[in-house]
Amino acid sequence: MSKNAYAAALKDTLTEIKKVCPDVSCSFIFTKDGMIVAGDSETAEGTIEKTVHSFQSIVEKEDMIGGLKALIIDGENGKVHISCINDMYLALAASKNADATFLKAITHVIVPTILKLLESITPTPLQFAPSKQLIVDTLSGLFVGDSVQIDLEVLKQWSELLNRKSVGEVEIEAFSGKTTKCSAKEINDPKLNGKGIIRIPERICKILEVKKGELVRVKPKET
Amino acid sequence: MPAKSKSKEEIENLQETLKDIKTKEGIIGYILRSPNSASIDLKDPTKIIDHAILSATALEAGQDISKTFEIGKVDAIILEGGNLKVLSMTIGDNRLSIFMEKNVDHDKLCEDLDLR
Repeated sequence: MSKNAYAAALKDTLTEIKKVCPDVSCSFIFTKDGMIVAGDSETAEGTIEKTVHSFQSIVEKEDMIGGLKALIIDGENGKVHISCINDMYLALAASKNADATFLKAITHVIVPTILKLLESITPTPLQFAPSKQLIVDTLSGLFVGDSVQIDLEVLKQWSELLNRKSVGEVEIEAFSGKTTKCSAKEINDPKLNGKGIIRIPERICKILEVKKGELVRVKPKET
Repeated sequence: MPAKSKSKEEIENLQETLKDIKTKEGIIGYILRSPNSASIDLKDPTKIIDHAILSATALEAGQDISKTFEIGKVDAIILEGGNLKVLSMTIGDNRLSIFMEKNVDHDKLCEDLDLR
């Protein structure tokens, strides 16, 4: 089963759960490093990205509590449950009076069972290439082209993980939410290797609205 | 009663409740921050900074997620970890986080704090 089929199966599952339980207004699944795996058909991508971004700030501090298992936000008009399932997180937004037992059944039984089932029919374990947070260094000049430069080690890790010959294109996301896709090459200045930086041409920096020294999230472009 | 005295009385009542909560089994401690002061009572004082950072992060992320989903004013934020649990909330101008072992019933604590 391909990664896309896996995501489509999860998307259908979440959409069906929402149909069965109208109290659930929104549901999606993402990985610990912030990669969105699947969401129900009605939830806006912006909503998912904002949530994942906020959640990541807690994930960064999870060592203090022995790993983050769940986050529950109880609001005046509704609640949000984010639960850890098989190394991923399931986020559910529901109305204030949503049946707690049913929500528990979704997070503890239904979705884990579907994930287990999907994994059992997948010949090899699914790998979602982890995104990396890299520090922006700007590339300027007439001949810089449109490619970003990334550590060779990072590119190698991604290609091994994705079982590809090489990673030639990446998706970059600024913390403002601006994203772009562009080709990627290894850093050509050996002094800059291993420093966790990404060299981005000024033109692309303008698109992303980022400056030198800021952080961006980078991941290989999906095929 | 003037608003300032009322607010002072509320904090004093809250601090009394927290003292009782602190004696319960599994409670690690709490951080109560009001606009001008902070009360911290943790079993392990070497972890004050870590706990303060975690408390602030949980409250901030909780508020942000609440805005994203438009679920209104946040009543409580519960952070469950492998070892411990954090119950955070805003009471008036005060931001409270109670740290506890993961098996403690946080709903009971909310009742004790008169939030449910």
